[in-house]
Amino acid sequence: MDLVQSVILVFLPLYLTAIILYLIRAIKGPTIGDQVLAIDSMTYDLAALLIILGLFFKEPILIVTAIPLALWIYSLDIYIAKYLDRGEMGG
Amino acid sequence: MITEIIIYLGLALIGLGAVADLIASIGMHRFKNFYLRLHATTVGTIWGAVFPIIGASIIAFVYEPLGQYRYLMGGAGLITALIIMLLAPAGSHALARAIHKAGIAKVVPCVHDELNPEMCGEK
Repeated sequence: MDLVQSVILVFLPLYLTAIILYLIRAIKGPTIGDQVLAIDSMTYDLAALLIILGLFFKEPILIVTAIPLALWIYSLDIYIAKYLDRGEMGG
Repeated sequence: MITEIIIYLGLALIGLGAVADLIASIGMHRFKNFYLRLHATTVGTIWGAVFPIIGASIIAFVYEPLGQYRYLMGGAGLITALIIMLLAPAGSHALARAIHKAGIAKVVPCVHDELNPEMCGEK
């Protein structure tokens, strides 16, 4: 295990703890806005975590999963905002 | 020499992102209302996702064990960081505007709300 892997192994628990805390807020959030915000943060973290895990496991192909995650969560934001604004989806 | 500097810089960015992410997730539980939690989300998105992705990408450019695909990983990582940096504020802004307009989350504690005074909760 070289330097990069051992340092990443130290920081991985912090990311996992943060994702669990976001998940708690996503489940119990008082309004729908809090839930969407928590899912936002959780998914952006997951994208970062996947790239870091790509370094850790020495698998460059894991990068392919990060870009669709970032685009998907943006579309979730926009659809929820549009639904709350006008009461309709899509279009 | 330059390789080691880049690797240390990338690891520092990854560590900074991990700490900022933890702070943001604690803030998500300690802030009182939706509009304050938006700040925690922004900290967790820009400091906690964009910077670690940039750090991991610049490590990937010089990290030999990744093999011949390491330039793909570095370039795609920088593109991902750019996409997140452009799209996350736009999405948060649209969401906050819609929540305020639909009257779902009240502004508590509130000093003054110019857009809609009825949304102002207790002081």
